[in-house]
Amino acid sequence: MSTITGLALALLILMVLVGGKQGLSNFLALGVNTLLMISAVVLMAGGFSPVIVAVVIGLLVLATTIFLSTTRLDVAGPAFVASLLVMTGVLAVVMVGVHFSATAGFGPEDSETLEGFSVYIGVSFEQILIATGLLGTLGAIAEAASAVAAGVIELGGEATEAGLHEIQTTIIGTALNTLFFGFFGGFSALFIWFTQLKYSFATIVNNQIFVGELIQVLFSVIAVALTVPVTLWVVRRRQQPPAHQHLKP
Amino acid sequence: MISSNKIMLGKFSRRWWRWGWPILTFIVVFAGLQFDARWYRQPIARVQTVQTTRVSHPVDNFENRDRIVTQKVHAVLLNTQHRGRQLTLHNTYSASGAEDAPLAKGQQVFLARSGRHYTITNIKRDAILGALISATLVLLGLIVGRHLWLTLASITANALLFILALHVEIASHQVLAFLLFSAVAVGFTVITTLFVVGAKPLAAVVAGATMLATALGVSLGYGIFVWTNYQDLHLETVKYVTQAPQLLFFVQIIIGSLGAVLDESSDIAVAIFQLNSGAKARFQAGMAIGRNVMGPLIAVLFMIFIAETFAEGVLWLRNGNAISQTVVWVMGLGFAQSLISAFGIVLTVPLTSGLAALAARWQGRQR
Repeated sequence: MSTITGLALALLILMVLVGGKQGLSNFLALGVNTLLMISAVVLMAGGFSPVIVAVVIGLLVLATTIFLSTTRLDVAGPAFVASLLVMTGVLAVVMVGVHFSATAGFGPEDSETLEGFSVYIGVSFEQILIATGLLGTLGAIAEAASAVAAGVIELGGEATEAGLHEIQTTIIGTALNTLFFGFFGGFSALFIWFTQLKYSFATIVNNQIFVGELIQVLFSVIAVALTVPVTLWVVRRRQQPPAHQHLKP
Repeated sequence: MISSNKIMLGKFSRRWWRWGWPILTFIVVFAGLQFDARWYRQPIARVQTVQTTRVSHPVDNFENRDRIVTQKVHAVLLNTQHRGRQLTLHNTYSASGAEDAPLAKGQQVFLARSGRHYTITNIKRDAILGALISATLVLLGLIVGRHLWLTLASITANALLFILALHVEIASHQVLAFLLFSAVAVGFTVITTLFVVGAKPLAAVVAGATMLATALGVSLGYGIFVWTNYQDLHLETVKYVTQAPQLLFFVQIIIGSLGAVLDESSDIAVAIFQLNSGAKARFQAGMAIGRNVMGPLIAVLFMIFIAETFAEGVLWLRNGNAISQTVVWVMGLGFAQSLISAFGIVLTVPLTSGLAALAARWQGRQR
């Protein structure tokens, strides 16, 4: 048995033991997302525009993550709508960030990875990085949107401005820790490299790989920051009684 | 309820303009950092005009067609004692851009000098980085308000601890390096927990459950590595590592999953401490909360770890490698990292629920 199969089996057992039926559904979501991400790479290599592939696969990833990990439809519906709105906004931010940072492709520290490869492959690495930037944020968007929708719907009509503010603050604080450490783990090897070779601060803040990784963190933080008010807005609009629908903001 | 909704939406539309602040910050910082060249010792030039001098259309062994362009660049030196001098530089880029990038008017580049000649060594990226960081902070400030300072303090404290650890020169000693970073992970947990929940008995539960779940998850992962004899797992492909890839891989997993595990644990523990029922009911309430959050949290890390492999994955496929081979060699470590992180995230649910239920009962008896 390959190691990955072993790990996946162990996770399946753990998730069913802890989560029962819901654990099984979560594991299924992970499996579907795995297939989607592999298809994304294959389609991009197959000559499809990486940005369009990312948007289409992104829709499917959001749907899978939100609808398979929440049992309540009244939460999943608005969370999905809000995620789609945020995804559009984040795509614009990612395009600007990737273009101006010129971090696409591989940096000088990656030369070992490229050994023996033909690098003139005719697929735009800038577009691939936009795809990476967009898809990398979707987990965080889905998580934050579900959490906000569940929290606000639970409060129902009794929601006060202070209560809503507390929900927003808590959810953003939580997401920031997850994202910060999630990327920090990947940074550790790069930082040890930088320290051993005594890179200066000026070198680091202009280094292609470091800047590329850090703006990816910022994309995710921006995505979560946008998700919270947008989800709140979507849920509140749905809670409006039909008679007041003409009061569009 | 209806009237409160109207007030909310009214306020929302009246204050729509505040969402312009992050964009304004971005523009101001981006523009401002165009003028920081004199703070650098390395020569920096700004591109003024660009001419295409040569275009070729190479075809490689795998029938990949690309376009390679040579640019003649007129630039002006922005610092050093030759500030203001006009330079002519050359830049070659490919349409795909694996290791190169086109230059455009207004961009700034670092130069290396040999005699009277200058060559381009790197692109200046501090302006976009600074602009994005500032805009993100302003956006967060708009939403969470004063709470932002607490989060920033927590991140700064963790970063300082990490930088301190990096300067302990034991990278050559594998076991010591692993122990050092495990100690750093414990430090991260304690610092972040104190910032998130404060110095309460609750913090001990959260920190304890986080460390226990992470340690158990990683041990289980290591056990499965050994049991399956590392089959189809290529630890030698861990990035930016010259020695001891396995230890650094585990360090990456421990630090990478720490935030998710900690957040999940504090969510569960805070809810359990607020309940006023028996230990068993508290345990079950914790399990119910955990079940709801574990799936999305696993998805957050999964998407981060897998999306990062795209560029290399496409490179492999375009170089005539099979899909299965690419998945195993390029995406394999990302899958392993996601799965082992997921162990920690799932194990936190019963561990925190159990510890918090016990602690709440103990606290109740003390009163």
